[in-house]
Amino acid sequence: MRLTDNINGSGKTDKTTDHVPEGRTSGPGRLLIAVYGIFALSATARASFQIATSFADAPLAYSLSAFAAVVYIVATISLAKPGATWAKVATIAICIELIGVIVVGALSFLDAAAFEHASVWSKFGQGYGYIPLLLPIIGLIWLYRHRDAK
Amino acid sequence: MTLDPWLISGMVVGMASTIVCIVAAVMKKKPNDVTLLALAAVELFIIIYAIAAAVRLLTGESLAGAGWEFWGYVFTVAMLPVAAFYWAMMERTHWSNYVMGAVGITSVVMLARMGQIWYGTAVPAQALNPLLGL
Repeated sequence: MRLTDNINGSGKTDKTTDHVPEGRTSGPGRLLIAVYGIFALSATARASFQIATSFADAPLAYSLSAFAAVVYIVATISLAKPGATWAKVATIAICIELIGVIVVGALSFLDAAAFEHASVWSKFGQGYGYIPLLLPIIGLIWLYRHRDAK
Repeated sequence: MTLDPWLISGMVVGMASTIVCIVAAVMKKKPNDVTLLALAAVELFIIIYAIAAAVRLLTGESLAGAGWEFWGYVFTVAMLPVAAFYWAMMERTHWSNYVMGAVGITSVVMLARMGQIWYGTAVPAQALNPLLGL
């Protein structure tokens, strides 16, 4: 990126490649927010459907689905908003998400009978290509690297 | 999961779109005509899919699952390229191509789930195949 700055500075601009701003909501941050958005959307839709059609079958699992959906929504919004307060909200939401995926992931292996009704976090998010496990780790690294940025 | 021509063509379009966008992003290209057309191709496919689904239902085919769930998926997957376009264009960098690349693969997963609702391969909601549980 520094190199690109120099090239641009010396007047040799290449319009097809780019200069990426460094903020928390820029560059890779936008991809992170987009992936969080997809999970917020799908978790919300799935939880709503489960609760609307068969809540009585598995109140715990479906409440957990709804909780996960709320966590993803809060994480998406707070990641997308600039400012130190929103960064704190994002950190808290993503920590809860990480704890959730680890606890639910572990319990779904240890006590499979109680977790036969799948949620996003079951088996560490295996059904979603383990993205639910990777996402909070990447999110926290991203927030840590931008801890001073507004 | 029933691999009908609709799902197969959706997979081809979606994966091709994702691959084009990721290659462009790796090459550090800003969004250009190629990646925007790749995104538009997904939208076009979904519109054709939705019209075809309506025609199939009106001409006697039936939907095994819940209609509102199926059309909920159609609406959501149709909004994805629009939302990604909006989000990607707010800051035009090569990262925008990664954002647009996420659309194709997501649409493939959603189309697979829509196929389950259509053919009723799916199992009641509580036992959703987690792979396709979007």
